[in-house]
Amino acid sequence: MNPFDLPPRTPDFEALVKPDRVHRSIYTDPALFDLEMERIFGRAWLYIGHLSQVPREGDFIAAWMGRQPVIMIRDGKGEVNVLHNRCPHRGAMLLTEERGNAGSVLRCPYHGWTFRNNGKLMLAPLRDGYAERYRMQEDENFSIQKVARVETYRGFVFASLAPREHPLPGLIEFLGQAGTWIDAIVDRAPDGEVDVSGGVHKYFVRGNWKAQIENLNDLYHPQFAHACTSDKQERQFKRRYGDESGAHLDVAETGSTWDAMKVAGIDWGLSWCDPLPFNHEARGGPLVEEHRAALAKRHSPERVGEIMSERFHNVIIYPSVVMQLASSHVRTIRPIAPDLTEIRVYPMRLKGAPEEINRQLVRYLNITHAAGSLIQTDDVEMFRRVQAGLASEGRDWVWLNRYVDADREGAGADGVRRAPGTSELVMRNQYRGWLRYMREGTP
Amino acid sequence: MNAPLIGSPATAGTADIRPVEAFLIREARLLDERRFEEWQALFVPEGYYWAPARHGQTDPWSESSLMFDDREIMANRIQRLRHPKVYAQIPASQATRQVSNVSIEEEHAQTGELTVRSVFFMFEHRATLPQPLERIFAGEYRHRLRREADSFHIVWKKATLVNCDATFDPLFLYF
Repeated sequence: MNPFDLPPRTPDFEALVKPDRVHRSIYTDPALFDLEMERIFGRAWLYIGHLSQVPREGDFIAAWMGRQPVIMIRDGKGEVNVLHNRCPHRGAMLLTEERGNAGSVLRCPYHGWTFRNNGKLMLAPLRDGYAERYRMQEDENFSIQKVARVETYRGFVFASLAPREHPLPGLIEFLGQAGTWIDAIVDRAPDGEVDVSGGVHKYFVRGNWKAQIENLNDLYHPQFAHACTSDKQERQFKRRYGDESGAHLDVAETGSTWDAMKVAGIDWGLSWCDPLPFNHEARGGPLVEEHRAALAKRHSPERVGEIMSERFHNVIIYPSVVMQLASSHVRTIRPIAPDLTEIRVYPMRLKGAPEEINRQLVRYLNITHAAGSLIQTDDVEMFRRVQAGLASEGRDWVWLNRYVDADREGAGADGVRRAPGTSELVMRNQYRGWLRYMREGTP
Repeated sequence: MNAPLIGSPATAGTADIRPVEAFLIREARLLDERRFEEWQALFVPEGYYWAPARHGQTDPWSESSLMFDDREIMANRIQRLRHPKVYAQIPASQATRQVSNVSIEEEHAQTGELTVRSVFFMFEHRATLPQPLERIFAGEYRHRLRREADSFHIVWKKATLVNCDATFDPLFLYF
């Protein structure tokens, strides 16, 4: 029922997304943003947090599913629940700290409604005022709303607000081959688990969330946007312990060595890319050897070699999170408004690794992915410039046509679409996912 | 790099605070005037700069920091700020820092090094389109200072913003 008898808000998506370009309004239009919050962030598997952030009963972290506030909290049975951060009574936000321990009960400060840490109502004070027929302890309308679809992969908790009839598959199927890249990151930990409780970097992007997510497998931009990070030999500063120097940013008139790397995309907008041109073969030193030794206690020499090999750079689990192998971290993307996005970057420490390795992971992440880092600040400046530039109506289109004829989309028997590194296939693949979400799941 | 942030037991301070204040004023001025190389040279070779990302953060090793630069990273950061293509600083930020409420917290018996607390305000302006960036940072400095002829060298500097755990627009400058 539409009480105002308005025409349904269904824009002509095909007029906005072409095979080789997208309309500028996709980044600027508040109505489209609202629809994205409903149909993308209100449906997709969104990364909420990691189990290591809530090790004990009552531990919670705050998170967002699009614009909706939720908490991830461990209950008395050890289960991790994702709850809407809203009192069922009058709507007050229950927890206003980013993390903490709520103990065994949550109490709304407004009228004292009290809940178990799994969200179930224990009592509403002054019960004489409530008629017997409400049976409030049994009726789930009086408990904190749980997010129904919650699944965990290797300790990473995802949740979805999709209704049952939505064709979004279960988490494992949704991740597809992207799951193997999460494995590759987690397997670097000798104990087979990562720890995501080592603090967080937080920064604002004065731009649209898609500008950020379109950048993460964009191998066309580094040699230009990050020119200031390299020396006269076009070598970046060191980004990891054990390296001699950083990535090679070559700028050539015609081809790029970055095309030797590959980018790849799968359904629902997920993607990844090959390792960046650090001098991986030259990586070494005592810490790398200690890491190998720690892994060798659990794995065969062949397996240790596989784990320590550089098989990819990062994996984008569209639309909410990216995980990176080289600078071990999880990065979340939170849209706030068409022109405002919050990014959070959490170091992933490797359980069972020598302490000095984890110290160095934390240390180098300050340099590469902090609000004041030497690399992210370049990107965030570009996203800001994109948003500022798109205020111009001088042109309608944003071009994503690089290597469009080389797309072998859908060609791979494994369902993976691959292209040379500087291709914009990843963005085109994201818009394939975008369209599918906006059409409520129709491919 | 692994030096403890709080050193060995200290004696009651007898040091004259005036040269300390003069040093802090000079240090702030080097940053205000973007004389980053001269500022960097104030640090001892094993010195470092730390801006925690959380009140109560006990060390820069077990969790993320806003900045944690040893001399090598300082050199990288400054080289980048000097690069002609540092687009995030085209146009560049201008800033001014005010340092006050200076007190000598510790004077270390063996080394003679001083731990100094002060309070700072910093205003930054970047005259960029479409809107200028204008913002205030405020917080506490702690300096470990080593006497050097008539002046001091910085063993470490810790800058704790009042809002160190906030979400920031990109940070370009040392506080």
